Amino acid sequence: MLEPVQKVTDWPILKISKKKDQIIEEVIEDAMLNIEKAFPKSGELREIIARTLYLEKIRIKHEAWKVDPPDESKFWDNIKKELFESDPAKTDKEHANQVALKLLREIVTRYTIEITGNFNPRFYKFAKIILPHFFSRMLNASNGRIRGIIKPNEAVDHRLTVDGPIEKIRKLSQKGTLILLPTHFSNLDSILIGFGMDKIGLSAFQYGAGLNLFNSKFFGFFMGNLGAYKLDRRKKNPIYLETLKSFSKTNVVHGAHTLFFPGGTRSRSGAIETRLKLGLLGTVVEAQRVHFEQAEENGGEAKKIFIVPLTMSYHFVLEAKTLIEEHLKRTGKEFYITIDDEFSSLYKIYKFFWQTFAKSSDITLSLGDPIDIFGNKTDEEGNSLDFHDNPLDIRRYFTSRGELKADHQREMEYTHMLGDVLVKKYKQGNVVFSSHVVAFVAFELLKKANPKSDLFTLLRSPEEDWEITYDNFSLSMEKVVKQLRQLERQGQLKLADHMNRDVADIINHGIKNIGIYHSKEPLMKSEEGSIISQDIKLLLFYHNRMEGYGLSKYV
Amino acid sequence: MGSQNMSDKIPVGVIGAGSFGTAIANLLAENGPVMIYARKPEVIDDINIEREHKGQKMHENVTATADIEQLCERCTLIFPSVPSASFRSMMVDFSPYLLPDHILIHTTKGFDLGDIDEEQLLDIDFKLKANQIFTMSEVIRQESNVVRIGCLSGPNLARELANHQPAATVIASRFDEVTREGQFAIRSKRFQAYASNDILGVELGGILKNTMAIAAGGIRGLGYGQNALSFLISRGLGEIIRLGNALGAEKEAFLGLAGVGDLIATCTSELSRNFTVGRRIASGEELAYIIETSDEVAEGIKTVSICKKLAESLDIRLPIVETIYSVLFTELSAEDGLGRLMGYRRGTDVDFM
Repeated sequence: MLEPVQKVTDWPILKISKKKDQIIEEVIEDAMLNIEKAFPKSGELREIIARTLYLEKIRIKHEAWKVDPPDESKFWDNIKKELFESDPAKTDKEHANQVALKLLREIVTRYTIEITGNFNPRFYKFAKIILPHFFSRMLNASNGRIRGIIKPNEAVDHRLTVDGPIEKIRKLSQKGTLILLPTHFSNLDSILIGFGMDKIGLSAFQYGAGLNLFNSKFFGFFMGNLGAYKLDRRKKNPIYLETLKSFSKTNVVHGAHTLFFPGGTRSRSGAIETRLKLGLLGTVVEAQRVHFEQAEENGGEAKKIFIVPLTMSYHFVLEAKTLIEEHLKRTGKEFYITIDDEFSSLYKIYKFFWQTFAKSSDITLSLGDPIDIFGNKTDEEGNSLDFHDNPLDIRRYFTSRGELKADHQREMEYTHMLGDVLVKKYKQGNVVFSSHVVAFVAFELLKKANPKSDLFTLLRSPEEDWEITYDNFSLSMEKVVKQLRQLERQGQLKLADHMNRDVADIINHGIKNIGIYHSKEPLMKSEEGSIISQDIKLLLFYHNRMEGYGLSKYV
Repeated sequence: MGSQNMSDKIPVGVIGAGSFGTAIANLLAENGPVMIYARKPEVIDDINIEREHKGQKMHENVTATADIEQLCERCTLIFPSVPSASFRSMMVDFSPYLLPDHILIHTTKGFDLGDIDEEQLLDIDFKLKANQIFTMSEVIRQESNVVRIGCLSGPNLARELANHQPAATVIASRFDEVTREGQFAIRSKRFQAYASNDILGVELGGILKNTMAIAAGGIRGLGYGQNALSFLISRGLGEIIRLGNALGAEKEAFLGLAGVGDLIATCTSELSRNFTVGRRIASGEELAYIIETSDEVAEGIKTVSICKKLAESLDIRLPIVETIYSVLFTELSAEDGLGRLMGYRRGTDVDFM
């Protein structure tokens, strides 16, 4: 554990929590402004409210969750009534517009309050103490040893590796605002990242957790008090999305170190994100411009935002089974959120942690070098550097003919550019585990053994066919591992320490660790010594992580 | 516009004083002061003292300079107009002075070969992948801090522009600001500029059409008329769209001014450089001799071999491009090349949309 960079009382998230009311006000004003700007024509606002009303009614009827407040129907009925009564056909236009603005404010306010989380420092400290105990109890129980032999924090310490320019990130966390952007495989990511950041002494990050997680009292209680704000993916109406963006932007402007998953939802296929949702990312670009505007107005230096990409590496993903099923079912159709996955059961979560911290399964958080919002690298002091390594004044990205200017279209392009940089950084930051490699090689070999089958035919083939001779497997592993080492030298990826062993060891290590949680094993050795799979879809899931490195030709 | 207050206005920059760069400088000069960069002192003298260059009279608002730093400092909007083969080295020279608020709108219709040697393209065993070559907008991005990047492309034959004939062009960029500023700077009574946000499509339209221009010259050189030429243009457009689409551009871009518009202009104009190459080949001259005796670079020659290699690696059929390649670089004569195309027995009419 590293020393905390700041006392809890100095944490940005705590300071922000203390001016919660002020921030809620700012979010509401910002969202109102943006929505009015987006729908400037007379009557448009009413249309948007009517559409939102319609969508919300459908959601309430068909997709109700435990976490939804009881007065929802009443609220929307009221909106409906007022909208109807102020119909410009019945009253005058001016009045209709005023009512529309009033209703908009009511909706935005409701959403803002719903989204806003609560950071409770006492609860944070409490959680920090009890959670490791919770894990350590599991750990000791699993070892059949007497409680207390392994110290609580050691479990987390041993199994969770944080890799990357840690000192620099710690330093920059005090010079500016960190935006931590991880890849996303599991609902447990945010908790693990929380541990990881605490381990390297950083203050708590503000992050958005899916509202579905708040259905579970256990999760809801933890997340709510640890500073999570709530994201409801059912609400896709423009008023909600604008409010959410304003919320994110306002908090970043106020200096909240923020964590969100730019991939949007968990990777269904098991592959590292190649396409990002740009909505929230855009708010970060906007926030940096606001910093320059504020500096121009109030004098002084503009606050700076640092982007920290983070690639997560696991030997197994708790939800792999559900995720890959969804991925395969989703053939271009609109994705329907299932909440009934592995997270519906506390037992399963418990079991995940048990597996992670008690068995020999590692998790690596690979932090990338902090970049500015334009993808430029930064030096130890946080100055942006161009590719000649000369200092670069990033204010110029926001100016036209020397003057600061808010240009929405331009900032959207910057967001696109940042997305492209992140995708590259994710791939480069990927810490490759033995289990990823064995899964990749095994699935590719099965593909090659069935050259005429397309993917779906292969997945439906009988289990007896999912067998590879050890020699064949080992030969391909040799070639792929050699190429991986080459790629590591070129900075295209990273290899976990255990990948430095000889290939036979890597194979054993990989097969032992791959997906140890699953009841059917994606990969194992048969009694005769050949490599077999009990679940080819899971194998595909773990295989996909190594896509995009051009490795197929080495199998 | 009077010239008294010209010194107060921010000048627009042009890099490269070839015939197109010079024509662009003169067009821009109708709206305000222009600084044109040239390396050679004699070219600067031509422009600043003789007031005539590349057979074009220079507009009074144009000033030539060899001072890179000064040009970058004074101009925010710059039009690079240098051949693709020297574009990267030009960017390396300019890069230290270029900042994120500069706008670069290039006019170059060719590919950059990155680390690849041009000789390698003629090696039968050499495989060329799409990610090994770059458009000029990619080169600008790779070599500088500039992000506000655009491309100007369309049926704009330099000699016609120089003769003050009316014309239209496309300015493409992912940034609305870039197309807006570009249009504002260059639009005049005789020059119309349309906007597009598909910069890759607009770049590729300008690049790929050069191959067809060589073929068009070949058809003329063989003494054939409008039927054969229209045959080439229509089928050629199909090949351009197929390849362009495979390289990531939207098909629509090729139906506009920078696609079919430019294709018609270059394939029907005896003035175009690539057309001239094709005509001379058909009349029996050797390629090496043609290159040696040409005043300016015909981008199409390099583009033909690039397109042929790309078609192979992308697994698409481009019969016209393949034929032009064989005529340029193997023993196949222009007449036999045409015969090969006439003997081609596959395909329906519109098979590219």
